[in-house]
Amino acid sequence: MAFNYDNYLRLEKMPTLWCWGCGDGVILKAFIRAVDKLGWNKDDVCVVSGIGCSGRFSSYVDFNTIHTTHGRTVAFATGVKLANPDKHVVCVAGDGDALAIGGNHTIHGCRRNIDINFIVINNFIYGLTNSQTSPTTPQGMWTVSQKAGNIDPTFDACKLAIAAGATFVAREKVTEPRKLEKVFVEGFKHRGFSFFDILSNCHINLGRKNKMQSAMENLSWIDSITVSKKKYDEMTPDEQLNLLATGILKQDTEAREYCDMYEDIKAVQQGKRGLLTQDDFKKKI
Amino acid sequence: MSKMVAPENTPVWVNESRCKACDMCVEVCPAGVLSMRSEPSSTLGAMISIISLHACIGCNECELVCPDFAIHVADKSEYKFAKLTDEAKVRAEAIANNNYRLPENYGK
Repeated sequence: MAFNYDNYLRLEKMPTLWCWGCGDGVILKAFIRAVDKLGWNKDDVCVVSGIGCSGRFSSYVDFNTIHTTHGRTVAFATGVKLANPDKHVVCVAGDGDALAIGGNHTIHGCRRNIDINFIVINNFIYGLTNSQTSPTTPQGMWTVSQKAGNIDPTFDACKLAIAAGATFVAREKVTEPRKLEKVFVEGFKHRGFSFFDILSNCHINLGRKNKMQSAMENLSWIDSITVSKKKYDEMTPDEQLNLLATGILKQDTEAREYCDMYEDIKAVQQGKRGLLTQDDFKKKI
Repeated sequence: MSKMVAPENTPVWVNESRCKACDMCVEVCPAGVLSMRSEPSSTLGAMISIISLHACIGCNECELVCPDFAIHVADKSEYKFAKLTDEAKVRAEAIANNNYRLPENYGK
């Protein structure tokens, strides 16, 4: 016997349209293994993806899927989750989709702490449209939109999610598929907004002009800029400057989940309880 | 668990119709089981091939990194995998140093 991914795939869509060696495929596999491990029924899962290479994600999996407009994954997913609070909702977006075009939806999804699992495939570039600067493109790298070298400072997606109020925040990379699967399992089990910043390779549109022409060279670069959270925490700010911490960076199980709070609203409308007041909330301001 | 039946007495097998020849499985194989071969009909002119089937140690790395669902490795409970030998390590290195292809005169 061997693990059978095909049970979770739309076989008529295979092979994928992603380039050779693309990290998206590795993330898709880890996602499938995580779902299998949790024993989720395929009909109970909804995968929502936006625009970009990562947008193809929803086309390949045999779950309930929505391929939405650019950056609006969390908005659509919020609707799906509120209407089906007992189902599992997973959003997939790229770094541009989640942090630029959909940045507003991302921060407010985090703020509401709705039980959505948000996978950001962060390949540091707009890949599908051929190499424009994204919010995570490192400074000094060549892009089509900044041919003299990118001068835009980068977003740290995890810090953004933590500050916005997501209750589970993790970063992993495609070079460690086993850890990737583990972090998905942990995040999917978490009730609340789970934010995953998954570092991936785009040797075609980021690497080709930035001295990382093969998948392996791009992946070694990712390895060189990441360090485990434990080691990261022991470093001085100078040492931390050019590194990203991987692992589970935040997990808060105390904050109330949005669908649970919405039940209170329903109770008010059904006349089962009085109006909500500030006394119903721990945090008043 | 979602499982498929493994071909008899086979530790690792590939689905050539899905392989895009990215070299990643060959890069991670510690035992020199996998190598690319020339394949003019493939987009990148190469195709994955299994050159030393029974040297497979069952580490599963190739399956985990394959982005295209093209490689499968049998379960450890069903197949008795080989131990990693020096010969296998040397072969893996020779393949990696030769653009992920087994050198033509290797072992002759």
